[in-house]
Amino acid sequence: MIELKNVSTIYDDTLMALRGINLKIGQGEFVSLVGPSGAGKSTLLRLLTRELTPQEGEVILDSVDLATLSSGEIPVLRRKIGTVYQDFKLLSNKNAFENVAFALEVCGVDEDQVQDDVPKVLNIVGLSDKINSFPHQMSGGEKQRLAIARALIHRPRIILADEPTGNLDLVNTYDVVKLLMKINELGTTVILATHNREVVNAIGKRVVTMEKGKIVRDQSENGKYVL
Amino acid sequence: MGWTNFKRNRYISIGTTGVMVLVLVLFSGLMAVNFLSSQVVVNLQEKVDVSAYFKADISEEEILSVKSELESLNNVKKVEYVSAGQALDEFKERHAGDAVIQDSLAELDFNPLQASLNIKADDPSQFASIVQFLEANKFRSVIDKINFYENEKVIGRLQSISGGIQNWGFIITMVLAVIAVLVTFNTIRLTIYNQRQEIEIMKLVGGSSWHIKAPYLIEGGLYGAFAAAVTAVIFYPALFFISPKVAALMPGVSLMSYFLSNMFQFLFLVFSVGVLLGVVSSFVAIRRFLKV
Repeated sequence: MIELKNVSTIYDDTLMALRGINLKIGQGEFVSLVGPSGAGKSTLLRLLTRELTPQEGEVILDSVDLATLSSGEIPVLRRKIGTVYQDFKLLSNKNAFENVAFALEVCGVDEDQVQDDVPKVLNIVGLSDKINSFPHQMSGGEKQRLAIARALIHRPRIILADEPTGNLDLVNTYDVVKLLMKINELGTTVILATHNREVVNAIGKRVVTMEKGKIVRDQSENGKYVL
Repeated sequence: MGWTNFKRNRYISIGTTGVMVLVLVLFSGLMAVNFLSSQVVVNLQEKVDVSAYFKADISEEEILSVKSELESLNNVKKVEYVSAGQALDEFKERHAGDAVIQDSLAELDFNPLQASLNIKADDPSQFASIVQFLEANKFRSVIDKINFYENEKVIGRLQSISGGIQNWGFIITMVLAVIAVLVTFNTIRLTIYNQRQEIEIMKLVGGSSWHIKAPYLIEGGLYGAFAAAVTAVIFYPALFFISPKVAALMPGVSLMSYFLSNMFQFLFLVFSVGVLLGVVSSFVAIRRFLKV
């Protein structure tokens, strides 16, 4: 369902973030994208949400080249993809319910459905008791689970997680990874970008290793973090 | 959501509204100044006319036929016929206290004054063409003289002054309007800049750009509407105090009654300008932050 064909991006004339990337990811896969900082993991994820377009090559999702999307179609694409970030990107002046609800509201979903869906998704991530808490009243792990709840609210077929455990301690990291694996088991494709060796080795699924903008290794089963 | 933003960012909202109030008060003030300067010009123009004096042996019918021909010209505003007798009466009245003139008039056994037509034009610049029309062959035999040439300098001066008032008024209005728009625009941009993270997240979770924009446009419009209301509350009491002073300087000109009789139009204008300014500023400002 996701295919990158010979993709290169150029941030400025001298520095290339990605060089000739070829990658195929099928529906329902769990892919760990590993490599040191600056290897191009985040750039690759941002290509999938159309925050960036490649200078060369094609990014294809469900046989549609993302470069051909009009500006009106980009929001529709982003509702098919849930995104989780290292810095959570939660709104500090909104409580847990509102943080998830506004992702629905900006898409024009009616109020009844918001009232119905948000508690369900908060229940999935185990935050039912924090529904009225503000981000500053929550731990790092809770914030990240809230961010995952927001990513799930559109029932996306793909979850992109960009260093979701980067700001978390061991216990919370474990919680978040377990949650991502549970989401994957329900049929959602998960792409997890990380440089956390323990996390990758514990997951034991497909591992794509990147270095200096290139894919240097692609282990399809029981992959390990090797450098 | 626009309303929620407006309430939550109370201090910024007050600041932005305040700036827009200044802009709108300025705008209203300029309207008052424009009204006054146009009144001055109209008053001066009212006073300028051209008189054509007829030879003594011309009959009243002939003069009236010239009058009706003049009235058919489309740049003539008004033609007033003054007969020789009327001219004499007015002359006597004007010099009632002057014994020498009264005595010398009494010595004469005929009326030394001529019948004339007083012509007012829509615009002082049109006098030249009216005079040309009168000087055409048809009328040359009946008209003795036209006082246009004595008035020409005054008319020219008046034209340049009134043109100057209107041009400069327009230029100053435009410059101030541009400054006002820039200040409003920047203030709203700062307001939105404070919420750039929110906008970025909305984009990333798949908000369509219309759903993201609408609350900010409403917010901008609210600033404008509130500013317009405050402006009206400031402007009318201010007029109440200023109007008598203006009337003392320029008799017959009442700012208060002008703005009261046009109150509906004035309020509508200020309101539309305020809302438009707010919405357009928001629209331009948010475009920058929507490029994710």
